Parts: sequence; C-alpha cells; structure tokens
Amino acid sequence: MRRSIPAALVVGVGLLLLLDFLVVNPTLGAISGAIVELVVILFAAAAVLGAILLAVRHAGALALPGGDRIGSALVLVGMAIVLVPGLMATDGAAAPSVRWVVGALVVPIGASLLALVAVFLIPAARRGMRLRPRDTAVILVAACVVVVLLLPLGGDVGAALGDGATWVLDVPLRAVFAGLLIGVSLAAAVAATRFLFGLAGTDD
Amino acid sequence: MPSAGELVTRLLAWVGELINASSLRVGLGPTVATLVVLLTLLSLVARPSSRWVTRDAGKLTGLGRSMALAAEAGATATLSVGTAGVARAASAAERMQSLVVLPLVEHVARTAARAGVPLHITTNDPVVAGMAEALVTDAHAATGTSERRQRSDVEFLGEGRVPAAGLSLGADARRVAGFALGGLGDESLLLAHGMAAGATGARVGSGDVAQAPSILLEGTGTLVGADLYAAPAEVRSTGHARPAVVATNRLIGAVIVILVLAAAWAVAGGSPADLLSVR
Repeated sequence: MRRSIPAALVVGVGLLLLLDFLVVNPTLGAISGAIVELVVILFAAAAVLGAILLAVRHAGALALPGGDRIGSALVLVGMAIVLVPGLMATDGAAAPSVRWVVGALVVPIGASLLALVAVFLIPAARRGMRLRPRDTAVILVAACVVVVLLLPLGGDVGAALGDGATWVLDVPLRAVFAGLLIGVSLAAAVAATRFLFGLAGTDD
Repeated sequence: MPSAGELVTRLLAWVGELINASSLRVGLGPTVATLVVLLTLLSLVARPSSRWVTRDAGKLTGLGRSMALAAEAGATATLSVGTAGVARAASAAERMQSLVVLPLVEHVARTAARAGVPLHITTNDPVVAGMAEALVTDAHAATGTSERRQRSDVEFLGEGRVPAAGLSLGADARRVAGFALGGLGDESLLLAHGMAAGATGARVGSGDVAQAPSILLEGTGTLVGADLYAAPAEVRSTGHARPAVVATNRLIGAVIVILVLAAAWAVAGGSPADLLSVR
C-alpha cells in the first residue's frame, strides 16, 4: 500500500500528460497545465532552497578551522554582489548593477574557463593515446584531416579543400551524428515511457 | 432520483463530448510512432522472456577494484551528476539524462559504501542534489554501513555549467575514482579532465552526441550516446531495467528496416517523404 499509492499517482499523471501531448482537448489541457504549473513551482522552490543551503553551507565553512575559508568567503561575497543590488532595485535581475556583474564578471570568467578547452585538448589527446592508442589515433587523424580541410587557403587548392570540407560535414559526419541521435532519441523515448509509467524501480 | 441507466448514459455522453472536442496534436504518423514506443515497452514488460548477455558497459565492473584501491589509499571517490540537472534551463533530453544516471549513482554509492570509501557527489541542480542525497543514504542503509554515512556528502555547486568544470579542475587530488555521468555541454572536456586527474580510473558518460570526443579522450570507461541509457541494465541485480534496453534495440532495428525500405523506395523513384504527410 505504501508503495502502490505513489506508483498509481505516477501512472495517472504520466497517462494524463502523455494524453495531453497527443490529443488537443481544453479540459485535458487545463488539468495538464495545472500539473505542470505545480511542478514549476516545486522546482522554483527547490532552486531557492538550493541557494539557501549553499549560503548556509559556506557560512558554516567559514567557522570551521580546517575548511576552505577563502573559497567560502568568495562564494558568499559573490552571492551578495548579485543578490543585494537585485533585491534593492525595482527591476530586479534587469538592474544595471546586476547586468554589469553578469556582463563584466560572470561571462568573461566563463568564457576564459571554456577557452581552456583548447589547452586541455593536448593533455587529453596524450592521455587518450596512453589509454586507447588505436581509437585515439583515429580521432586525432580525423581531427587533423578536418583542420587541413578548413585551412583558409585561396585558389584552386582552397576551393578543393572547401569542397572536401563540405562533403565531410554533409556525408560521413552527418551520417554518424544521425545514427547516434536516432539511438539516443529512441533510448530517451523508452526511458521517458518507463518514468511516465512508474516502471523504474530500485534494486530493493 | 436518477436511475443507474441515466447515470451511465450521462457518463457516456460526457466522454463522447470530450472525444468530440478533441483532435490529434501532432498528426496520425507521430501519434502512432509514440504509441509504438509505448506498446513495444509494455509488451516486453509483460513478457520479459528474452535472454540477457551482460557486457562491461563503461568498465563499471571494475568499480569494486577502484573502490578497494581507494579504501587502501585512504582516498575518496568523486562523482559529478553531469551539468544538465532537472530543474535547470536545459533541454528535455538533457534532463532525461540526469534522471537516467540515478541508478548508476546508486550503484557507485553502494560500491563506495561497501568499501568504506567516502563519496563526494557534485551537482549544479538542487533537485538532483536532493535525489543524490537520498540515494547515498539508501546505499548506506542497504549495505548496513549507516555509521559511515557522514563521511559521504552531496555538494550543490550553484547555478551554471562552468563552475562545475572549474571546481573539478581545482578539486582535491586525493581521489582514486572519478565519475562524470549525465548531461554534459561544452565544458565536458574540462569536467572529465578534472575527474580523471589523480584517479586510477575515470568513468565518463553522456548522451550528448557532440561531447563524444571529449568522453573518448578522457574516460578510462566510457558511455557514449545510447550506452548511458543502457548501462543501468548492466549493473543492476534485478532485471527490470532490461526490457528498456531490449525495447530500444527492437525500435532501432525497426528504424533501420524503415530506413532501408525508404532508401530502396527512393532508388525505385518513389518519394518516402509522402509517408510523413499522412493526415
């Protein structure tokens, strides 16, 4: 009984949402809309709770002798820099100070971190060669071929390379991606069906 | 007082009105396709008679050894539940990956609990954090190691994908097993590199096809594409995850047959696109 009520709820809600996905009906749409709104509110509450827990955890870490006090202080200061001006301004997240923090700090820091991908690609290739020499060699050879094809050259050679690049993108690459995407999409569809019908149990 | 017959009549009339006021949202073809997925799965659940041959997906069978090494070295295990999350602004496919990897998180948590290795789980989604917290508690309860529960923790890193990658790069190197499983984005290489640093075995997996090269380069054990969805069926002792994999394989087989037939039809001069415009 303890397990059957949640399972029945999952199946009922799952069926309702699936039916609303397939069929246009005002009554069904209103019920499904209400359920989805409830879920959105729950997620929003969870997000707020997550932020509060993050602040509490790092405030607690400040008091611990062995903790990462500098890191925790930076997290709390960062939260305050965004939160305080956002709450004080009438336009909330659209306040100029909040937009400045995002545009001048968050975005450049994120971009610089992602720029490290180019650097970390070299140790990753070395690690790959150590772990799986053959597979990694294929990846690296393919990457080298694409780099050569995309070289910014002019004249007949450049045009031939450009045509080659277009063919690689349109034929082998698109075929591989389409194959992988079909597999992933079907796996996701089956997984979604299992969740909708409460078929995903535990080992117990 | 209305009779029972009148009640049934009104009920039928109401159902009739509901059906009358309804129409198919996505047309006949896609509706049938959706229902075929459903029926394929349900037929397998009702009759799971096919034989199952296990395989070592993502080298997860070596998890016990990795944890034993970690226990011997007094090190920790770190697991990142991807960067897509459930409550975050991510696509439905990415959110699905966060849910699909939960059985793998459960498996890692149990193996770590049995070996007495502290498990540090990181996520950028508060809902996933709550789920992972419950899984770790359950793992310790199931293995009779509740006294070690406090040594493992789940950390919510805050919003965004970049912090997860940055923090994994700068994380404590006293780690023997590292995992990055779930929806990953452009930061996948950095996250996987951080998880692999210092670890004897890094298991990396994602259903994001574009991240396959990063996964293949950094992971000792890899789960690429649909492998991520199939892996729970390989590691769980019970068989209820297996019908999903069999259903997926059958659907992939059906898609291949359709592609071949459509290609043959196109070669013969027909137009397979006409099939999609069925009303």
